Amino acid sequence: MEVVLHLPAVPNVELVAAKAVETLGEALGMDRDGIEAVSVALVEACLNAMEHGGSSFIVRLAKESGKPSRMRVEVEDQGRGFDPDACPPDDSTRVHGCVSKRGWGLTLIRELMDDVQISSKPGKTRVCMWKELENAP
Amino acid sequence: MNEPQINLKTTVLDDGLGLISAAGYINNEGGQAVADAASELVGGGCNSLVIDLDGTRIINSIGVSILLEIMEKIMEGDGKLAFCNLTPTIAKTFEIMGLDQYAGIFPDREAAVTSFAIDGTT
Repeated sequence: MEVVLHLPAVPNVELVAAKAVETLGEALGMDRDGIEAVSVALVEACLNAMEHGGSSFIVRLAKESGKPSRMRVEVEDQGRGFDPDACPPDDSTRVHGCVSKRGWGLTLIRELMDDVQISSKPGKTRVCMWKELENAP
Repeated sequence: MNEPQINLKTTVLDDGLGLISAAGYINNEGGQAVADAASELVGGGCNSLVIDLDGTRIINSIGVSILLEIMEKIMEGDGKLAFCNLTPTIAKTFEIMGLDQYAGIFPDREAAVTSFAIDGTT
């Protein structure tokens, strides 16, 4: 079971991807909390793709069998790329009084998902993330 | 769960305590709508606010950043901010981004409002 979305970089298109997570997650037996965590992580990945990736991007959702089985979520764009190792986890203590409160996307993705792999080079960035399907049949 | 438009309702609960009920997607637009509602309540004399997110299932980091700015303005006025009815994912997002260090997080509206009464903040 796989869902592939080719999305234009237009306002609120990330909600289309989130809706796909909801539909597939329910079909796969994922609980509500899991679906919402994946949705927020995917929304952040979509926002990054739109901000840095150009006019369109691709979202792929799929079930991966195994023990435990997992939902795999990929977001691929054709932007200029970045060094994921140069984006260390954010520190919540920096929030209060800090002028810039942006740049939390990757941190949220890493915290909300069970596993995250990022590959990036000029012209192709792929964020691949997984969430366990605890209640899957 | 993914309505792009946010529905807001504001109420003055008690002297100095305002309530914002927000249901919908808290992104840049949704967050700004909440910020505008907060400014209106503060301008009307509320120095502390409860933001009830019952009906909000999805947020993004830009929207939460705007909520952080609301929190800072409330704190500058010696007021307090509380949230209630958060989904587990939204609660975790607030924790990751540090919002829970400065704002109260409560399971429901009654608990949030009661905390101000106990506190004597309003």
